[in-house]
Amino acid sequence: MSEEIDITQLETAEILELIADDLYDGLAPEVVNSVKELLKRNMTPYDVLTKGLVAGMDIVGVDFRDGILFVPEVLMAAKAMKAGMEILRPLLVETGAPQVGTLVIGTVKGDIHDIGKNLVGMMMEGAGFTVVNLGINVDADTFIKAIHEHKPDILGMSALLTTTMPYMGVVINTLKEQGLRDQLIVLVGGAPLNDAFAEEIGADAYCRDAAIAVETAKKLVAIKRSEPIG
Amino acid sequence: MPSGRKGSVPRGANLLKAAQELGVELESICGGRQTCGKCQVIVEEGHFPKHGLTSRPDHLSAPTAREIEYSQENRLQGRRLACAAEVLGDVLISVPEESQARKQVIAKAASERTIEIEPAVRLVYVEMQPPDMSDARGDWERLQVALEEQWDLKGLSLDSSALTALQSNLRQGNFAVTAAVWQNREVLRLQPGYREGLYGLAVDIGSTTVVAHLCDLRTGAVLATEAAMNPQVRYGEDLMSRVSYANSEPQGLSRLNRGVIRTLNELAEKATAAAGLLPTDILDAVVVGNPVMHHIFLGLHPRELGGAPFTPAVSSALDLKASDLGLSFHPAARLHTLPLIAGHVGADNVAVLLAEAPDEQDEVMLIVDVGTNAEIVLGNRQRLLAASSPTGPAFEGAQITHGQRAAPGAIERVRIDPLSLEPRLKVIGYDEWIRPGASLPHEARATGICGSGIIEAVAELFLAGIILPDGLFNPAAAERSPRVRYQGRTGEYVLADESLTATGLPVVITQNDIRAIQLAKAALYAGSKLLMNHWGAQQVDRVILAGAFGSFISPYHAMVLGLIPDCDLNKVVAVGNAAGDGARFALLNRNLRQKAARLARWVEHVSTPLESSFQDEFVAALGLPHSRDPYPTLAPFLPQPSADGRTGRRNRIREKHQLV
Repeated sequence: MSEEIDITQLETAEILELIADDLYDGLAPEVVNSVKELLKRNMTPYDVLTKGLVAGMDIVGVDFRDGILFVPEVLMAAKAMKAGMEILRPLLVETGAPQVGTLVIGTVKGDIHDIGKNLVGMMMEGAGFTVVNLGINVDADTFIKAIHEHKPDILGMSALLTTTMPYMGVVINTLKEQGLRDQLIVLVGGAPLNDAFAEEIGADAYCRDAAIAVETAKKLVAIKRSEPIG
Repeated sequence: MPSGRKGSVPRGANLLKAAQELGVELESICGGRQTCGKCQVIVEEGHFPKHGLTSRPDHLSAPTAREIEYSQENRLQGRRLACAAEVLGDVLISVPEESQARKQVIAKAASERTIEIEPAVRLVYVEMQPPDMSDARGDWERLQVALEEQWDLKGLSLDSSALTALQSNLRQGNFAVTAAVWQNREVLRLQPGYREGLYGLAVDIGSTTVVAHLCDLRTGAVLATEAAMNPQVRYGEDLMSRVSYANSEPQGLSRLNRGVIRTLNELAEKATAAAGLLPTDILDAVVVGNPVMHHIFLGLHPRELGGAPFTPAVSSALDLKASDLGLSFHPAARLHTLPLIAGHVGADNVAVLLAEAPDEQDEVMLIVDVGTNAEIVLGNRQRLLAASSPTGPAFEGAQITHGQRAAPGAIERVRIDPLSLEPRLKVIGYDEWIRPGASLPHEARATGICGSGIIEAVAELFLAGIILPDGLFNPAAAERSPRVRYQGRTGEYVLADESLTATGLPVVITQNDIRAIQLAKAALYAGSKLLMNHWGAQQVDRVILAGAFGSFISPYHAMVLGLIPDCDLNKVVAVGNAAGDGARFALLNRNLRQKAARLARWVEHVSTPLESSFQDEFVAALGLPHSRDPYPTLAPFLPQPSADGRTGRRNRIREKHQLV
C-alpha cells in the first residue's frame, strides 16, 4: 500500500495524519517511512514523536477505551509505534528532548498473568513513556531494585487474582519504609481491583484498562511536574 | 425484605455481609468488590409500622466512587450495590428477582457404563465356635482366626466402633457375623448373622455444585443421585475469592469447610432416604474436587493455592476416616480422595480421566472442562498433557451486562435469522422457543442470559454478520435492523425487548460483553493449542466437553466461537458430570484408585501462562473463530469475508490521494 502514494508529495500536516492512520491500521513499515520523511524535512525528533506518533496513538487509545479496537489491533498499533520509536529514540537523546516519563511495571508476586500488563506497557510506550517491564511474579525487592536503577516517574503493578492483589499493598508499604513512596506515582490495575482497593493500599490510582492507564499516567505526571520543587 | 428476614447488625456493617448473615442469599460473583453488579437491592422508603421502622436511603452509606462509576456504565435505576453499602440506620431492603441466588438447574444423570465391581469394602460371613471355659482367648482373637481360616484374611485390625459392639453382635448372631472388611486390612463393621447390603457414596465437589451418587457396592447400581449448590458460593463465586476469604477472615476456612461438610451430610441423608436407607449405611466414600475444593474439604488451608507456584499441601491420594472430617456416615466409614495432578489441576480432573480413559485410546482426545478455571487434557495412550487456563467467570454470566447463572429465567439458547436479524430464544423453565412479540406467561420471561446462552448469542451474531470476525459490531447491520443500535460509538444488540423480560428492561448484548467472551474463549483455546503444540498434534480426533456446563453448550456454536479447535462435529460430545462418574468408578473398583494414582503421576502438567508463546496464541485466538487457525469443518457455515478484505480502516489520506 505504501507504494500507492508518494509521501514526498504530501504536505507535512498530511504526513502527520497519515502516521495516525497507519498506526491505527498497524502498518509498521509505513510509519517508519513517514517518520523518516518528517525528519528529512527538519522536523525535530520531539515534534515527530509528539505530533506524529503520540497523537496517533491517542486515537488508538480512545477507540480501545470505547471498545472499537481490541487487543490484537492495539498490539499491532503498538508494534508500529515501536518501529517508529526505534528511529527516534537515539535522536531524542542526542537532541536532549524533554522526557515524557519512565514507567517500571510488573505483575506482583504469586501472580503469573502477563498479557494485560504487557498491553499497558505497550500503550504507555505509545504515549512516549520509557517502559521497564519486570515481567511476572515480581517481589518487592525486585521492584525496589528497579526503582533505584531506572528512577521512574511511575510504578505500575498488576494482579489478576484476588489472592495476589494484597501484595500490591506490601510493595507500597516497602516503598514507604524506604522513603521512596513520595517520589513515585503508583498505578495499579487488574480485573479484581477497584478504586476503593487502590485507595486502601495507598496507590495513587486504579486504572481499569490500558487506555485509562495512559490517560491517568499523563495527567498525574503533568500534575507532579507542575508542582514546585522542594 | 421479601425473604421476611429481619435482624440487627452493628452500625457500619456491610449490607451484603449483613444479608448473608441473616440468611438472605444474594447473588455475588465478585465476592463483594463492587464489580459484578449482581447484588443490587432496592431501599424501600418510608415508615413501616409492620416492621416498626423508618427506612430511608440515607440510612445506607453514600455510594462509593466505584459504585457511582458502576452506575454510570450500567443502569442501576436507584438501586444500590449491597456490597458497597454500609448500614447506618434502619432500612427495609427488597431483593429484586435477578439478585437472588437461586437453586441451579443441574445436569446430574449418572451415565450407565460397564465397570468391574471390586469395591474397597466387601462383606464376609463368618461362623465361629461358641466360647467355652477351656478357651481363654478373647472374642476378637477368635474372630481373627475364623477370618483367616474361612477367608484367608490375615492380620486384620478392628475399628473401635466395631469393637464396642463386638460381643453383643456375636452373641446376637449366635456366633455368626457378617464383617465389612476394608482393603483386606480392617474390619469396619460387624452385623449379627448373614447380611447383605453394602453402600458407598461418590462425591464431586464442584465450586458451584456438589453432586453425590449413592451406590450399591455389590451391584454397582446407582441408587440415588442428589445435587446441591455449594454453600461456599455465598463467600465468593470463583475459587480465588474463596481462597481470599479464607486468607482474610479469621474463621474463613472453618466456615467454608463446615459449609461443604454440612452439604455432604445433607446429600447423604437425602440420597439414602430416597433409597430407603440411612446415612449410617454408608461405609465407603470417594470424594473428588479441584485443588481448592479438595483442600477446603479436608480442612487444609488453601492459601498456597492462591498464588504461584500454587503448591498443594498434599497431592497424593488419601485414605481417611469419614467421621474425622465430621461426616455422619457409619462411624467406621472410610473415605478416599483421588490425587491431584498439580496446584491447578485437581482430583476432579483425575476422575474425568478415569471416566473418559483417554489413556486407553489411539485417537487424540481433547477433554475440556469449561468453568471459571477451565481444565484441559490432551492426548492418548502414548502421552497425556494437562493444563488449566484462567478463562474468568464470563462463561458463568459474570462480567456480562445481563449475565446470570443458569437458573429459571435465564436465556439459554439463541438463534438469529441471518436475513431479518430477528432472534429466537429459549428460557430455562419454559419449553417453547420464544419469538419477539410473543405474549408470554410469567415463567417464560427472561431475567438475563446464562453462559450457554451468551456463547450461542455471540456465535449467532457472528454467523448473522452482526459482528465481524474481529468481534466489532458491524455498522452495516445497524442499517438493516433496529435491534442493532449504538450507544455513542459502540454497538449493542437487543436480544429480548422489554415485553419478553421479567425485569421490564431489555436484555442486550453489548460490545463489551462480546469482548469479555472473546477474552475468555481465547484463553481456553490458547491453552488447548499450547497442549497441541507440546504434544505435536496438528488436530484433535475427538473433543469432550466435560462438566455440567459442558452439557448445555451446543458443540456447533462452541466451534463457531472458536472455543474449541476444529474437529468433526460428530466427534464433539458433552459427557456431563464426568468427574462425578470417575468418582463413582473409583468407589466401585479399588484398582481404579491405583490407576488414578498412576495417571496423576504420568500426566504431564503444562503451566500455560509460563509458556513464551501463550500471549501470541492468546491474541491470535481472539478472532472469530480464530485469526489464524483454519476451521475447515465450519467452512460451509461461516459468513464470507467482506470484499474489501478489511485491510486498513483509516485510509483517509490514501483515499484522498488516490481519488485525485
